Amino acid sequence: MKTLPLGQFIPGDSPVHRLDPRVKILTVLLLSIVILNSGAVEGLVVTAFLLAAVVLSGLSAGRIAAALKPLAWFFVLLFCLHLFFTDGRPVFAILPAVTHEGLERGTAVTWQFVALVVSAAVLTMTTAPSELVGGFEKLLRPFNRLGVPSHDIAIMVSVALRFVPTLLEEVERMREAQVARGADFGRGGLIRRLRKMATLVIPLVLCTFRRADELALAMEGRGYHRGPRTYLRELKFTRVDYAALLAVTAFLIGLEALRFLPL
Amino acid sequence: MITAQHLVYRYDPKDAPVLDRVSLEILEGQYVAVIGPNGCGKTTLVKHFNALLVPQDGEVLVDGLSTRDAKAHREIRRRVGMVFQNPDNQIVGMSVEEDVAFGPGNLGLAPAEIRGRVGVALETVGMLRLARRAPHSLSGGEKRLVAIAGVLAMRPAYVVLDEPTSYLDPAGRERVLNVLWDLRQEGISVIHVTHSMEEIVDADRVVVMSEGKILRDGAPRDVFREADALRAVGLSTPQVTELMGRLRALGCEVRPDVLSVEEAFREISALVGTGTGGGR
Ligand SMILES: Nc1ncnc2c1ncn2[C@@H]1O[C@H](COP(=O)(O)OP(=O)(O)O)[C@@H](O)[C@H]1O
Ligand SMILES: [Mg+2]
Repeated sequence: MKTLPLGQFIPGDSPVHRLDPRVKILTVLLLSIVILNSGAVEGLVVTAFLLAAVVLSGLSAGRIAAALKPLAWFFVLLFCLHLFFTDGRPVFAILPAVTHEGLERGTAVTWQFVALVVSAAVLTMTTAPSELVGGFEKLLRPFNRLGVPSHDIAIMVSVALRFVPTLLEEVERMREAQVARGADFGRGGLIRRLRKMATLVIPLVLCTFRRADELALAMEGRGYHRGPRTYLRELKFTRVDYAALLAVTAFLIGLEALRFLPL
Repeated sequence: MITAQHLVYRYDPKDAPVLDRVSLEILEGQYVAVIGPNGCGKTTLVKHFNALLVPQDGEVLVDGLSTRDAKAHREIRRRVGMVFQNPDNQIVGMSVEEDVAFGPGNLGLAPAEIRGRVGVALETVGMLRLARRAPHSLSGGEKRLVAIAGVLAMRPAYVVLDEPTSYLDPAGRERVLNVLWDLRQEGISVIHVTHSMEEIVDADRVVVMSEGKILRDGAPRDVFREADALRAVGLSTPQVTELMGRLRALGCEVRPDVLSVEEAFREISALVGTGTGGGR
């Protein structure tokens, strides 16, 4: 399959899909700040918020699990490190390394990472890549005057995304061609396998350079120039987008503010 | 009008020129086929038409604008659209419609205007149905059509296509050729680079290139009449033309400039009906 890691876009018509990408991007940013600062109570609220977002967007639990799966070992490692290397009161007398504090820290830190990944996955699964790029571009546009070339960045990213599947196809074609000539990528020690992979990398790099050359010519031929340009769809906030942004911002800021209240 | 005057170009100053004093005029609305063996300089020539290359000697003018004038490049590229040989390397959008919108976006048009142009361009090439598809999921022929639509959205007066049917199956080829025909009906000038003779029998004009020079320039009928000259540079004539040539060699009274099966049929049936004892 030609997929990008972390939650490929799943077309749909849920309320979350329909939100302006900027609302979703800003929400994820705010949410990340809250997640990284949260204690137990905020953690529960954020978990509920994430669950609600997943349900609203019509994503199945399987899809979310698939986004988390590649990082499963990282989560386990993270948890264990905190579990074993935090000083405090032992949980079991025979295993003094495992402490109550370690259990708590491990759970909290692992939860933070899982929550970050889930919120990013909901964003990328409910937003088409082009909308995502468009959203970032428009959010960065006010910084044009400070020298942030938002339009050029957007073109760069979208061309890169456009070529990922093409390059993967190319790798597959080269691999097949070499297998047909008797190469075996599955066998041999690490060094031999790496060496065989190198036989793919070099032609791929050369081929990519040639492509880039032609692509640059083609873009020039179609009138490309640096700086401002216009788009097929100019993003526009609807009333729902304003309402959602307001509600989410108020909610998350409120949640953060709670920590400073003497409760 | 696109005019090339004594155009000279070399990629490497030490080598012989790839284009050697080429002069050529292409009128608005003309369907011009450029043919020649591999490596004779076809691609190099047509890259001069939209200022991707600038002549080292001589001059190229597009509607009076010189490609030497860098300030005119944007306007020249709007007037002369270029479809490259490999469609994979010229599709920049993440979807078909976004790719077609790339050129108009560079012109800074308003989104509503862009949408209109994208719709018309995709309609022209018959790809409206696939507007939201990702480019890599298209067939080779469909990618070509998207590349053509991307150029049409700029509303060019001239469209240059570098071997637009290479690597296509017969059905894909047919679709592309039909689109080119439609463009000509709409008054757009088509400059069609190819080395397939069959494709260009309907062109207004055929320019035959060999080793950086123009060997012949004229109506397809006149060019194909000289089958020997074409064969000498490694080109073949269309099969029906070839057939007529062989019949003539046998002493049959047929026209030497037959281009279509229809014409060949008329010649042969006349032959069979009158002269050489029909119905044998
Ligand atoms: N970028 C380049 N650098 C150096 N030589 C080139 C380049 N492109 C083409 N050539 C050479 O110029 C000649 C003409 O090439 P080209 O215009 O591509 O021919 P055609 O399109 O008719 O096959 C060939 O001999 C080719 O090797
Ligand atoms: Mg060529």
